[in-house]
Amino acid sequence: MDRELRLEGVSRSFGTHVALDDVSFTVRPGRTTGFVGANGAGKTTAMRIVLGVLAADRGQVTLGGAPLTPALRARFGYMPEERGLYPKMKVADQLVYLGRVHGLDTATARRRTAALLDELGLADRADDVLQTLSLGNQQRVQVAAALVHDPIMLVLDEPFSGLDPLAIDAMGAQLRERAAAGVPVLFSSHQLELVERLCDDLVIIDHGRVVAAGEAGELRAAHAGRRYRVAVRDVAAADLAGRLAAVVPGGPDAVVPVEGDAGAVVVDLGDGDEQAVLAAAQGAGAVREFAPVLPTLAEIFREVVR
Amino acid sequence: MSEVDVAPREWPTVRVVAQREIAVKLRDKAFIWTTVLMLVLVTVATVLPVLLTQQVPSLRLAVQGEAAEAVAELAAELGARETPDAQLPVALIGVGGLPAAEITTVTVEPGVDVARLLQDEDVAAALLGEDLDDLHLVGLRDVPGELETLVRAASSELQVAQAAADAGLSAQEVAALTQPEPPALELLEPRPEGTVPPQLLVLLFAFLFYLSVLTFGTSIAQSVVEEKQSRVVELLVAAMPVRWLLAGKVLGNTVMAVGQVVVIVGAGLIGGMVAGQGELVRQLAASSGWFVLFFLLGFVMLSCLWAVGGSLASRVEDLSSTTALMQILVIVPFFAAVLPIDEGTQRVLSYVPFTAPLLMPARIVHGAVEPWEPVVAAVLVLVTAAVLVVLGARLYAGSVLHTSGRMKAAQAWRGLG
Repeated sequence: MDRELRLEGVSRSFGTHVALDDVSFTVRPGRTTGFVGANGAGKTTAMRIVLGVLAADRGQVTLGGAPLTPALRARFGYMPEERGLYPKMKVADQLVYLGRVHGLDTATARRRTAALLDELGLADRADDVLQTLSLGNQQRVQVAAALVHDPIMLVLDEPFSGLDPLAIDAMGAQLRERAAAGVPVLFSSHQLELVERLCDDLVIIDHGRVVAAGEAGELRAAHAGRRYRVAVRDVAAADLAGRLAAVVPGGPDAVVPVEGDAGAVVVDLGDGDEQAVLAAAQGAGAVREFAPVLPTLAEIFREVVR
Repeated sequence: MSEVDVAPREWPTVRVVAQREIAVKLRDKAFIWTTVLMLVLVTVATVLPVLLTQQVPSLRLAVQGEAAEAVAELAAELGARETPDAQLPVALIGVGGLPAAEITTVTVEPGVDVARLLQDEDVAAALLGEDLDDLHLVGLRDVPGELETLVRAASSELQVAQAAADAGLSAQEVAALTQPEPPALELLEPRPEGTVPPQLLVLLFAFLFYLSVLTFGTSIAQSVVEEKQSRVVELLVAAMPVRWLLAGKVLGNTVMAVGQVVVIVGAGLIGGMVAGQGELVRQLAASSGWFVLFFLLGFVMLSCLWAVGGSLASRVEDLSSTTALMQILVIVPFFAAVLPIDEGTQRVLSYVPFTAPLLMPARIVHGAVEPWEPVVAAVLVLVTAAVLVVLGARLYAGSVLHTSGRMKAAQAWRGLG
């Protein structure tokens, strides 16, 4: 069951607009993969192709090396970007219906529905019509709809949009729990801090092309570049910056004071030598801090998406 | 968990979709009420005319004078005669073309105010006169038709009898004069008695088809657009191929449409039997077979188009424009079947797939077809239905994910969802 989902050279155009251009990445079992990109970068198109809702012009999607079949796809759990269930149908009825559409028999669908509603704290709303629920509760039912058939793969398009902080935590816990159970989880989000916190792996897409993909930690290390954070005891940031600017090729532009930490600066080495920077810092006084800076996801994102 | 324990299969999934369509329809109050209303209408329409026509009117006739009394007596006798065929549902015409009526005569002494009796509506009319050639039939605003006809017949019979007696004719000769032998009526291919005219049957079938396709076609289109509007469709098409979804909707609504027609026609047949119209029931049942077959084929053929109409819209409000073509495809055959058109055109139209579901059964009812003709037309409709199912599935698949704004059919064809 521990099989990875792989996109290989997937391309798709709408008329003359190229939505996906030779997209390849992997979603590994037991891990959460964050799918990040600007609006219109191609996230939703890629997810729809994984689910078979859209067809790829070229390339293929495989699970454990085998091409996806409709029968396999039917066992995926999906939360589309455009949320929606039957507004006039009872909560439990529609979960049972969706379970059956995914191939469950009626008894299993009923059992899973009851268990999920219990888990999500909606057991007392089972017989209410969906549109009478609050938006937050409707969102929870949407989560249940993605999980009711015990999916072998989870694909969630912007699962956190519109959620309050508590609901975000609950959703995050759900995703981690599924991943821990061995289900590959792919989700997209605009909230980069959230992705940073929740993801094991990352895929960054821009204008239909994958610009970065891999383990979150490795990606950060790879994009760490040659930036160092430097602080010297009892020396103001401005003074320190002046001394360090003299030893890096970038000059004053390459040295930026750190906000909120008086005295610390970040130096972009460029082609320069970190030992020269260290020496310059020691010349100013007792070095309190000298360490490479790992970029935040937001920084990597800004760097690769240009 | 094993890998193959749950995977949706085509037929069960189509059935699940169809079941939901049916469940939604059965909970739809508008649907329930229209069905009940139609049932009541059909029952009333079958039972009421029987009750009405079998009722012989009771009329009171005031009589004054000797001749008036004789005529009134004969008129009552003529009106009371049993009709030769008691099963005839339309009992308006009695013996020799005379209506049936139960006439009670009220003898009025001379000097009584006849006008007063009429004004009080104590009697329907008054017959006054001492001489046969000077009789007056007096009414208030009008005289009931049955009464007038019977009185006129009785009066002329008595006058002829008197004239014959004056001329010294024998009793036999008098009888020949007063009750002439009408020509014997012979039909080479008689319609069974107690049948409705074919044109009425065609109208009935055409109306049922028209109503069903419009009702359930709209219902399919609505169900499609509601899924688009609520966005739930993306979850559904992620779980199953689009054509399964289409098939489920068409199946569910076909079951409901055929079910409704069967219930309504069944109510009509039972109503007819209860009202003692065995012949009518046999005639209806015999011509219903082809009608139901063509109904089924025609419905499936059109319902795929209705689903496409639904998928081209993005909101319920767009439906009237995206389903305009389908409405025309329902209305034109209806009028072609109902309006009188020449036989050649009717023959051609009974093979055109869109008009065939109504016109071929219509021609069958009129008895103007060779045995192979309905079969050919049915095959043509079936082939068209198959082509439309494939076309419809592609258009549906190409447009069902397009949730913003109306789509052109050409865009849907290219799949620019």
